[in-house]
Amino acid sequence: MQSNDLKVMLFLAYKNLTKSKITFMVIVAVMAMSFLSITFFASIIDGLGYEFEEGMIRGQTGHLMIEPQEDELYISDSADLVKDIRRIPGVVGVARRLDASAVARHETIEIGNPVLFIEPENEKDVSDYWNSVIAGEYLSKRDTDELLIGANLVKSYAEEGDTQKRFDVEVGDRITLSFSNGFVKEYRIKGIYKTGSRFVDDKIIVNFEQYQLIFGSTDDIASNILIALPQRGMEGPYTEQIIDLGVSEQINQWQTKMGAVNQFVGSLQITNQITGTIGLLTAFATIYIIIFINVTNKRKQIGILKAVGIKKQIILGSYVLQSLTYGITGVIIGNIVMKLLLLLLSIHPLNMPIGPVIPILTTERLMTTSATLILASIVAGFFPSKKAADENILDAIFGG
Amino acid sequence: MERTIIKTEHLERVYATGAVKTYALKDISIEIEEGEFVAIMGKSGSGKSTLLHQLGLLDKPTKGNIIIDGNDVINISEKERTRFRLHELGYVFQSYNLIPELTAIENVYVTPMARNLKKEEYEKMAEEVLTAVGLKDRMYHYPSELSGGQQQRVSIARALVNKPKILFADEPTANLDSASSEDVINLFRKFNKEIGQTIVMVTHEKDEGEKADRIIWVKDGLLDTDK
Ligand SMILES: Nc1ncnc2c1ncn2[C@@H]1O[C@H](COP(=O)(O)OP(=O)(O)O)[C@@H](O)[C@H]1O
Ligand SMILES: [Mg+2]
Repeated sequence: MQSNDLKVMLFLAYKNLTKSKITFMVIVAVMAMSFLSITFFASIIDGLGYEFEEGMIRGQTGHLMIEPQEDELYISDSADLVKDIRRIPGVVGVARRLDASAVARHETIEIGNPVLFIEPENEKDVSDYWNSVIAGEYLSKRDTDELLIGANLVKSYAEEGDTQKRFDVEVGDRITLSFSNGFVKEYRIKGIYKTGSRFVDDKIIVNFEQYQLIFGSTDDIASNILIALPQRGMEGPYTEQIIDLGVSEQINQWQTKMGAVNQFVGSLQITNQITGTIGLLTAFATIYIIIFINVTNKRKQIGILKAVGIKKQIILGSYVLQSLTYGITGVIIGNIVMKLLLLLLSIHPLNMPIGPVIPILTTERLMTTSATLILASIVAGFFPSKKAADENILDAIFGG
Repeated sequence: MERTIIKTEHLERVYATGAVKTYALKDISIEIEEGEFVAIMGKSGSGKSTLLHQLGLLDKPTKGNIIIDGNDVINISEKERTRFRLHELGYVFQSYNLIPELTAIENVYVTPMARNLKKEEYEKMAEEVLTAVGLKDRMYHYPSELSGGQQQRVSIARALVNKPKILFADEPTANLDSASSEDVINLFRKFNKEIGQTIVMVTHEKDEGEKADRIIWVKDGLLDTDK
């Protein structure tokens, strides 16, 4: 192939593309929409999965969670452990918690419920309760008779028509907690929180020190310790550093604590794989067909060009180039629109029951989708033009 | 200077459509001299177009040989036949067959462009030949913006731009009104007289045939020697 052949090829491709603007726009629009239909839905599903996990991390598990050995109920000497872990460079937050359950009562309503004992300041670094208070205020260290209550337990935050048993309370009302050891105490509602995650919005939260008061235990115990890291994916190295501190308790990464959420996110991903693959095949077929029809309509033109002495490779090349242009332009526009949608949805996230969902488009999905669509356009441009270019000149021109 | 530019030897072209065999050309041996203006005439279906397609290297005979300017053009590769069409032959179709996406001048210069000429060169060549066919002021029009006669003149310009050894034309006036038809035939005469252009034209118009130097009559795929 000489450079001059390339010149003629470009010339013919350019003229064809620019003369048939409507065709160009239609094909590019189909490409762009195929791109969007594949990536957009998938990225919402991915965002949903991510949000599920994030809700768990920011409410239940932290990135890492230290828990007692199998045969132990508590972690002992937890205050020192918290201090030691906090000294590891890069650790964003460390907070210990105690878990119990109690029967909560307000007027005639009684609900058995988990109670979470937290250190309010430390807790801020590992979870989102502090900035999820939608009425009243967050706990402070000095609050001995106050509690926070999850919005899922409060009637006024329930969906209309919801029949689940809830307290008809507001900030300032009192709730009596009765613990398994017979201890009973009345607390004032200081704040109502709502993280948006169903898994964590059903708790009653009180100060860590209350545990000693209620259960009379004097040891420096904790049910678990949550550790927040700068971001996901760093769990391994930090686990090793914590082991190096001489910690003998279990150090669990958030992935292992997800339980049902893991299964759920897993099936979301499988669904995504399946619909993604079907979407790609559909897009491939659609693009193949429209480009195929377009090139097939140029059969006569291909015959004429051959008749006047233009080389077969030049003609073929010019059509592949045209298809490639459709492909690349469509994918670029699809990418741009997708980026805009992602931007828009990161400013105005989709509000879903589990919390605000921001779509996530993985590089892998972006690359596969782009590559498949471009490949489809090349293949679709190549075969019909090859067929027309290989055929008898007269058949191509006169439609034999 | 009597120099044979086209020589055919026992040309046969059989179309096999299923079990049916159509002998479009049975046995055609002709010679055409350089600088001649030859008309091919005969009834519809007699094989005129088929003959011209063989001479113009748009199709291959099932038997026989064609020598153009001393070159065997049958037993060569498809690539060489393409090169031959580009450099040595010009072809005018009945239905113009311009590329709709190209302007008049682009339709004309796409072939010199493919011959690796410089932009100034091929533009100049196209301008000259378009001027010669009387379309100086229509060069930047697209085929859809031109009348049938104008389109046919563009296609003549395209066929002539590379100064081909032979210009072929298959019923070039069949789609045109009488005034345009006359323009086309006069152009052919002009190029034949002024630059000695060899022209082989299929026509069914008696008066057009009479403007040629010689008429080759075809009947049922054979030369009609009675005429
Ligand atoms: N592609 C083809 N397949 C089958 N038969 C053909 C084909 N092209 C031409 N013929 C037949 O060959 C004969 C000569 O055709 P053609 O050369 O077009 O005649 P003319 O140009 O003199 O009218 C006709 O009988 C025609 O039907
Ligand atoms: Mg004919």
